[in-house]
Amino acid sequence: MSSTNATTNYGTTISIESLKVIAEIIGIPSLSDECGKELSEDITFKLKHIIQNAMKFMTHGKRTRLIPSDVDNSLILYNIEPLYGFSSAEHIPFRFASGGGRELHYTEDKELDLNDVVLNSTIKYPLEASVRSHWLAIDGIQPTIPENPPPISKDEQKLESVNPIANLKKKESDKESHGKPTTGKIHKLRNVETVHVKQLATHELSVEQQLYYKEITEACVGSDELRRTEALQSLSNDPGLHAMLPRMCTFIAEGVKVNVVQHNLALLIYLMRMVKSLQDNPTLYLEKYLHELIPSVLTCILSKQLSRTPEMDNHWALRDFASRIISQISKAFNTSVNNIQCRITRLFSDALSNESSHLPTIYGALQGLAELGPQLVKLHIVPRIESLASRVDKVLLDSSSSQADKIAATQIKNLLIKVLTPVLKNSQPDIEKYENEFGSLAHPLYSAVTKARTPSLSGGIGSRT
Amino acid sequence: MDVDPSVPDLFIPPPCSDIVMETIKVESPIIEEVKPDIVETPHPSNVLEKNVISAVLQICKKYNLKKTEEALKSEVHVSPDMVSMGSDSDVNKLLSAYKSEGDPDVYKDSYAALLKFVENSLDIYKHELGTILYPMFVHMYLELVYNGYKDQAIQFMETYGPKQEDYYQEDIQKFAAITLREQMRSSEIVETFKSNAFIIRMSRDTVSILKRHLNEKDHSVLLNIIKNHLYLDMYEGVARNKDQIEITAGGMVGEARREDNKAKVFYGLLKEPDLQCFVQAEEDEDGDGGADADKPKKKKAKKDSLFYKKSKTDPNAPSSDRMPLPELKDADKLEKVKALRESSKRVTLSAETLPSICCYTLLNTYYSVSCTEISEDASMLAVGFADSRIKVWSLVPQKLKAMKSAEQLQDINLEADDVLQRIMEDRSAETTKTLIGHTRSVTKISFSPDKTLLVSSSVDGTVRLWSLLLWTCLVVYKGHLTPVWDVEFSPYGYYFVTGGHDKTARLWVTDQYQPVRVFVGHYSDVDCVKFHPNSNYVATGSSDRTVRLWDCVSGSQVRLMTGHKGSITVLCFAIDGRFLASAGTDNNILVWDMAHGHLLAVFSAHTERIETLAFSRDGNILVSGSQDCSIKLWDFTKFTEDISFDDISVCHNPDIKKDGQYYLLRTFGTKQSPAITLFFTRRNVLFAVTYKKSEE
Repeated sequence: MSSTNATTNYGTTISIESLKVIAEIIGIPSLSDECGKELSEDITFKLKHIIQNAMKFMTHGKRTRLIPSDVDNSLILYNIEPLYGFSSAEHIPFRFASGGGRELHYTEDKELDLNDVVLNSTIKYPLEASVRSHWLAIDGIQPTIPENPPPISKDEQKLESVNPIANLKKKESDKESHGKPTTGKIHKLRNVETVHVKQLATHELSVEQQLYYKEITEACVGSDELRRTEALQSLSNDPGLHAMLPRMCTFIAEGVKVNVVQHNLALLIYLMRMVKSLQDNPTLYLEKYLHELIPSVLTCILSKQLSRTPEMDNHWALRDFASRIISQISKAFNTSVNNIQCRITRLFSDALSNESSHLPTIYGALQGLAELGPQLVKLHIVPRIESLASRVDKVLLDSSSSQADKIAATQIKNLLIKVLTPVLKNSQPDIEKYENEFGSLAHPLYSAVTKARTPSLSGGIGSRT
Repeated sequence: MDVDPSVPDLFIPPPCSDIVMETIKVESPIIEEVKPDIVETPHPSNVLEKNVISAVLQICKKYNLKKTEEALKSEVHVSPDMVSMGSDSDVNKLLSAYKSEGDPDVYKDSYAALLKFVENSLDIYKHELGTILYPMFVHMYLELVYNGYKDQAIQFMETYGPKQEDYYQEDIQKFAAITLREQMRSSEIVETFKSNAFIIRMSRDTVSILKRHLNEKDHSVLLNIIKNHLYLDMYEGVARNKDQIEITAGGMVGEARREDNKAKVFYGLLKEPDLQCFVQAEEDEDGDGGADADKPKKKKAKKDSLFYKKSKTDPNAPSSDRMPLPELKDADKLEKVKALRESSKRVTLSAETLPSICCYTLLNTYYSVSCTEISEDASMLAVGFADSRIKVWSLVPQKLKAMKSAEQLQDINLEADDVLQRIMEDRSAETTKTLIGHTRSVTKISFSPDKTLLVSSSVDGTVRLWSLLLWTCLVVYKGHLTPVWDVEFSPYGYYFVTGGHDKTARLWVTDQYQPVRVFVGHYSDVDCVKFHPNSNYVATGSSDRTVRLWDCVSGSQVRLMTGHKGSITVLCFAIDGRFLASAGTDNNILVWDMAHGHLLAVFSAHTERIETLAFSRDGNILVSGSQDCSIKLWDFTKFTEDISFDDISVCHNPDIKKDGQYYLLRTFGTKQSPAITLFFTRRNVLFAVTYKKSEE
């Protein structure tokens, strides 16, 4: 307990306001200030006593959080009947309300319909306590199994990749609390050595890890959907994957390179799902491997052809999925140093403005920008609506264009309307202005925007409160 | 729970303690002279004595304690007029420890002056003089409150409260809650401060400097407080420096006096019982198996070294008849032989060879598990729950069996060799058994060394003895009445010790309903108790931030150790019995020397309350488990090698190892699950019992 903290706690008392409210609840309409002051002093003192004793029950209950039963126990100690019906193991938040010149803190007390409780027979029976055993360490080495915490926590991974200097410093002072056990030999060697030769960083995987890697990669790109689901589940939950991460990322990057050339849509989707799982894993920090992941994901968004039969396959879904991943990555790892978001945006923007880019690429760029946020849509798409519209029209009207191109053009058109509507919604649609700025897209956009605005007027009030 | 019906009101203090306190501070001598021992009773002819007795009689009357009243009357031969003499105001006067000092501003000024004096004094004396500030602050505040200067008191608290050391803040919070005179009467900590002198150790030089300063000017307030409420334990030699003072500070009422740790403690281990004949008998049986002549011989030679090793007597060990211990039964001897056999297969741990850790995680016990315990042979795990149940799990393939019913037992041939197996009912075998009997949260469980009994303590104020053959409750020991926090069986069985909220620790024997010893002396809850490996002593840790060692034979306190900055949650004796490790809410592990009661080292690396400690069976490694979800291993061999026992004398603290991380070997994190019990098996595999902290 720091002394600065303590100062604020000296002599805190229950406010007279609160006492007055409590008095009102129990039917005393006007409590005098003096009376309130006396009461507040007395009650505060007694409350503090009770809580101080309740803390003892908390300590002996091997907990770090005070729960209602601790207070009950403390009350019993003072020969007071405990408050029944407040036994909740969960955190009960204090809510704040003000109004009528009064400020109040209260806990939410929901009213339950007794009929519901009585008639509802599906009351959950609490699970019986059970014991489960696992090896926390074997001869001083902690195995990387789901039961154990990850050998290197996410914070440490982050520190390692963001601030290498801190890492160096830590190594000097750290007594190697992680990784291999300290053996006398290593210590001796270190003392004898005068010249410190930096060791090559070898990432050796244990046999089990190699096996795991093989199994996982096979399952992820194999044909058995059930196994794949399990593998992806493991990728998104397992805590011990840190050591395998470089290999996983290389696997994904190489896989994308090969399969884009071969237009193997299915495999590309599987690989993107792997990226998503890794991204979802709470114990992994991907920063170090973004140089491999971002190009792969971008390829899946922007490539001109992703499947062998583009007119048949739904490669649009892959582009949508990959766009979502890239927006997540950019949100999670964008810093002023690496400028990920800016760089990605520029890439998309270039693809849009480039006259020679293929229609699927344009679709990808649009979707990518849309996922990154409405601000970017406004900045990069809105000024280009006319040129995009004319290009789409050209394809649609031209009888010589291929079936695939026509599908692409329709997709782009639909996407544009979908993406632009929420952005344009905020201002009153004006058909003349639209015709000037948006060319052939003016009318569909106008109808979409008007449609979007009408229900929002009626439903707006309800959703705002 | 049993409740005294005569105490209907909230916060009525126990009626007698105030008076006892008054007898204590009769005529305090001037500061530099050592005060009379506090238990010494004043001369009977003293006028005050009469008043005290009349006050006691008053209270007896008030609470209708007629028998006590009569007993007291007959004992002191009071004249009847004396009873009438004492009026209510007299009682109040006696209860008042704080006389009115007139001007409330005097306090603030004299405290400021004292602060200035301490700050301006020479560096070598500064820190030692500084120790007087906290008790002075507390007593001044209490005097202000007592005399009704509420605003001044609050102001005084706000000005100087934050300036006190961090480890006193917890208590200061408690004082700060008291702003009215009436509240003082119901506060436990005020009681403690009123009735006990705050002990401060000072060198002769420092005392003389303080004395000179106080005599220079008129410091009647300070002098009064020193006279009435402080005890200056003077020692010859150089004043201590800041670190030395800080490390042993933290006790609720100051440090330990020198006399507290003067008694001799037999910290050595008892001689192991002679198991040789037993081994011999067993071997003969083995020999019958028809092995060739050479093999048994070899075996024998090996075993001899194993069983004869401990025949040398330790000069520090108590004699085996110092405390009556139960006779070993044949079954116990067999068990001991088995244990020794197994320990011969033990891995010797060191910094190079760290243990394997097997982690038992309790599932679905979110906030409901309150204690866990593993039997000495690692065959059973007992868990106490907040809902008053006790569950026992078998950790080995053998299931838990109950004894057959009485009728069935009659049919068993008592001469059969396997009679012990035959009496057990096979059909009732289960992997877990539940013991139901307590009415509120179970706080601690302990297995008897022969694994047939289990003793448990509970918040309901009772201690229960359970049979692990019948799986029922055998005895309910009532004595504490308030929550019992800890219980432990003696390593030799028969005895067990408890500690509780009533500030006492009690020693019991299984076949008596009443405690055989009551250890009184702690100023706050006794949070943990631990038997010394030789069973002759009991260590207790308390919320008053002291560790005490009690002699089970005489019942007296033989060690008092201060240095913890928070309440103590766990104690653990080293294997050789010389060292005691304690840990608590201050996140530090302190290691004490039982020979002189000195603090030897502070291990600090945990960031949350420490819940459990354990020594490896070879004594080389100390492990600690904490609420910060980590298990830390400490190199105890290195630590014992580093201590030089040459410069240890009775009055001087040896160098205290303060570099908290120096002996840290490794840290093992657990996944969101703090270890609440750590246990080394006979082969030195570490068992950790954890529970999931988050709801999953």
